[in-house]
Amino acid sequence: MISPTGAPLSRRRLLGGAAGLAAATALAGCGGPAAAREAGPPRRGGVLRVGVTGGGSSDTLDPHSPATNPDIARTLSLYEPLLHWDDAYTLQPAVAESVTPEPGARAWTARIRAGITFHDGRPVTPDDVVATFRRITDPDDPKSGASQFGILDDVVVASDSSVRFVLSEPSPVFDQYLAEYSCGIVPADFSLEDPVGTGAFRYASFTPGQQSAFVRHDGYWRPGQPWVDRLELINFSEDDARINALLSGQVDAIDQVPLSLTEVVGSYDSVRLLTSETGSWLPFTLRVDVAPFDDVRVRQALRLVAGRGELVEQVLSGQGAGAVDLYARFDPEYLDPAREQDLQRARDLLARAGKPNLSLELVTSPIQAGTVEAAQVFATQARAAGIEIGLRRVDTSTFFSDQYLQWEFAQSFWNTRNYLPQASQSSMPDSPFNETHWDDAQYQSVVRRARSELDPRVRAQLVRAAQRIEFERGGYLIWGFPDRVDAHQAYVGGLVPNRTGLSLSGYEFRKAWVSA
Amino acid sequence: MTAATSAPAGLLRRTFRRRQARVGAALTLLVVAVALLGPVLGPLLTGYGVDDFAGRPFRAEGLAGTDDLGRDVLTRFLAGGGPVLASAVAATAIGIVGGAVLGMLAGYSGTTGSRLDPLIMRGGDVLLSFPQLVLALLAVAVLGSSGWLLVLVIGITHIPRVARVARQATLSVAGQDYVLAARMYGMPRRRILATEVLPNITGPLMVELGLRLTYSIGYVASLSFLGLGVQPPAADWGLQINENRIALTVAPWGVLLPVLAIAVLTVGTNMVTDALAKESADTTGGVA
Amino acid sequence: MSPLARMILRRLAVSVLILVVVSVLIFAATLLLPGDPARAILGQQATPERVAALSEQLGLDRPAPERYLSWLGGVLTGDLGYSAATQGPVTELLGGRIGASALLLVLTALVSTPVALALGARAAVRRGTRTDSAVSGTSLVLAALPEFVIGVLLVVLFATSVLRILPSVTIARPGEPVWARPEQLVLPVLTLALVVIPYVVRMMRATLSETLDAGYVEMARLKGLPERTVLLRHAVPHTIGPVAQVIALQLAWLAGGVVVVEFLFRYPGIGQALIDAVANRDVQVVQAITLIIAAFYVLVNLAADVAGILADPRIRHSSTGGGS
Repeated sequence: MISPTGAPLSRRRLLGGAAGLAAATALAGCGGPAAAREAGPPRRGGVLRVGVTGGGSSDTLDPHSPATNPDIARTLSLYEPLLHWDDAYTLQPAVAESVTPEPGARAWTARIRAGITFHDGRPVTPDDVVATFRRITDPDDPKSGASQFGILDDVVVASDSSVRFVLSEPSPVFDQYLAEYSCGIVPADFSLEDPVGTGAFRYASFTPGQQSAFVRHDGYWRPGQPWVDRLELINFSEDDARINALLSGQVDAIDQVPLSLTEVVGSYDSVRLLTSETGSWLPFTLRVDVAPFDDVRVRQALRLVAGRGELVEQVLSGQGAGAVDLYARFDPEYLDPAREQDLQRARDLLARAGKPNLSLELVTSPIQAGTVEAAQVFATQARAAGIEIGLRRVDTSTFFSDQYLQWEFAQSFWNTRNYLPQASQSSMPDSPFNETHWDDAQYQSVVRRARSELDPRVRAQLVRAAQRIEFERGGYLIWGFPDRVDAHQAYVGGLVPNRTGLSLSGYEFRKAWVSA
Repeated sequence: MTAATSAPAGLLRRTFRRRQARVGAALTLLVVAVALLGPVLGPLLTGYGVDDFAGRPFRAEGLAGTDDLGRDVLTRFLAGGGPVLASAVAATAIGIVGGAVLGMLAGYSGTTGSRLDPLIMRGGDVLLSFPQLVLALLAVAVLGSSGWLLVLVIGITHIPRVARVARQATLSVAGQDYVLAARMYGMPRRRILATEVLPNITGPLMVELGLRLTYSIGYVASLSFLGLGVQPPAADWGLQINENRIALTVAPWGVLLPVLAIAVLTVGTNMVTDALAKESADTTGGVA
Repeated sequence: MSPLARMILRRLAVSVLILVVVSVLIFAATLLLPGDPARAILGQQATPERVAALSEQLGLDRPAPERYLSWLGGVLTGDLGYSAATQGPVTELLGGRIGASALLLVLTALVSTPVALALGARAAVRRGTRTDSAVSGTSLVLAALPEFVIGVLLVVLFATSVLRILPSVTIARPGEPVWARPEQLVLPVLTLALVVIPYVVRMMRATLSETLDAGYVEMARLKGLPERTVLLRHAVPHTIGPVAQVIALQLAWLAGGVVVVEFLFRYPGIGQALIDAVANRDVQVVQAITLIIAAFYVLVNLAADVAGILADPRIRHSSTGGGS
């Protein structure tokens, strides 16, 4: 329930707001900071209070196990990885000045940025970097980032300003793994009681499930940044409370405006929407090793049933892009094939598979905004093709219980990734989250070759071949890439659209300023 | 005996001589009619099916706008009364039947000095030490949310409350000559309870029936409102309120229609119950 | 020992016994949990090592009676267990919330009691008049409405659609107690008060009516005392017992009612924590909160009965217990 404290919302203002939304999106499309005009030029000082979705009492300051949105926002404020994904989803140096492969890509060297210091003033040393990766891959307590470092044999000090990553197999894309936000560099003597990193903000206070506060890291390496003196992150588990806090001026910015409410929120004069195209995706997962999904015709029939345009309209209120069962839309090699809803062909395929009156149970859970809604819309569409889909709604912890990765027909959520890192996460036999139990020999050999192929042109061909295989017989039904819509007060500047799928300019609050 | 069997009919006739009861019945019937006819009338009236998409979410399209998925609010409202009514009636039935049986057993055996009475009543005390909603939440936490579970929990938690009333009424009847006579003739307990006791405690039981029905509607709707009752994509009043309340400012009908329907329904049943209680108290001279 | 004291002590013993049985029930319920709670808690980050470590931490490998005794021992010493979702002690999670919920209850009682008693008394004194039928009719309607219906209607009236003068959600800024923004308390308290008032009104009206018809009041009237004196000196004191009982019972009822109202207004009390814990399957938190609410319920019922016993010795020999 949104209870405005400003002027009441009239139909006219709502329409005006809608026009304003279009304008903001257009501006954002140009890549400039959409809010800069209202907020004025960058200004040092002030406090930025941000309402962040989700979180709970299990909130953590652990740099290597962030789970919820507030966790990620804190991680990105306190710590930095060697590399980082910028707003356009390209790799940029961060703690490392450079990360380069040796010939053959079986080893990579990271050169630490000259003069970079932790919050306590100590310089970052190669020992710290080595200790960081030991901590992530600690066999007794592997952190959430550990799974992607299966090929990492060893990290060693190479010189007084560089470390060397020794791999068990060639990997020309290893630098992408180093840019994950769960790989922040911390000192060798790191402890959670004294959460020190190289991020733009220093730790001030933290109450799990409620709020955390940070102060400016004066020794930060990016010139001028951060702009604000103090950053406060406030958890909001409920959409209405978060929106109310923004509209009543209790916070300066919020992440994740529900897509069905963007026009309402945007119609307030004092508020700016920040709309970002993302590569995040909310797939349906079909387990390819159990009936009826072990029959590729059933999988393809379900994919033909999905009305992707309607899903984007109803679930995302039209704010997003349709997808055709492939992920990694920002990968330079992203295939963009066509697949239209075709109920007749779907029925034919099912008839040929001997399953004319298919009846399925779809496990759904509010694991991300839009999942339960997507399940409902898809079930409605399937009924038109004679497929009865019963929804079984479970709570999030049940969804991620021991049955997670065992559900036969369920849903999932992933943020922006390029093709090969994503495939390593979810489509290979050794993937930590192979939700569809996808186990295709041809596919695996293509991906394996691509992962260690050094020639970019050949690698590109292999990545495209892998996508074609998934398009023809994979277990994911991917219907769309939702936009991310955040909102902030007009006086907040510097926040720009960001493709990572993380909210509010990738939770990089060093970029934001507040006008006086 | 003839007097006993005609008692409920007579009580009802006298009750509906009161204007309050007639107004209550009219309100109740209005909502019941909406719930029963709505699923058929809805699509005819609005042109949309329950699952049809009428536009983007939370728009003003149609008579009452669209809901969180862009479906027609009015159609879904008209289709959404069935689950509330069915669950509430089922829970009430469990509570009344279970409570009447246990209460009569307890009351009757209380007069014979059996240990059954304290056993039943102390067992009830344990259930009575939870608010009904909290017990339902405990059940959901343990077993997951499902419609029948909630019906069962609400019904079971009605039982001790109904049993108290039934026991009290039985105690006042059990000492009557016709019961003592039946007992002397060696009539089995089951038959005494069914033919001598039950017909003479229908007044208080009918009041309980109305009361428990009113509460059941409230609990069923509350649990759906908390997201723990009927699950999507079903059309259900409680769930509809839950799904649409975030947009109360822009699309109020998705919340207001079901809220008003539940309000009218519970006010209606309560007015009838209240009239029934007054009439029953006047008849028996007891305290309702 | 006087029979009265013995009566009260017996009632106390029954309450303690009921509480023990309730604690067994609450504990046993969690044994029915399907799946492995440790895995459910860890979710996507569940590795076998972590699951094993957490299982040990939660004591899931020990036999049930042993776990019950150690749980009960913990509860009695103020240790409500370990919240899986917060990865911290339950007491820490609930600490501030119990105070917030208590504040809601106390404010509601403070607002509703005088209003309800005054309305009930007025209706009783003016039996059969328009005042009486207006009060009785309104309370009949209000008594029928589920609390969330009253809450939503108040939100529409005062927060979103008709008037826009009160906040519809409670936003607790970091480190700020809930009473720092009193305007946020208005709608939750008003909702609960409207839910409770009708019952107290009806009880007050019924009891006072009965008293007003009683012989001693009639006597006082015949003695020529002014009606006001008759009412305050002779009639009202006789209603104190039953009305105190109703107020206590309504407080007990509120302990359940706050759950829905806190959820509706996002009020940071134990009711909202209960809903969260149910959604997260956070077992020990659900156990702790249901036990707290049940204990409160039993205690207030006890108080109601004791008030009843003290006020009217005739009910000494009837059954114990309470509830609506």
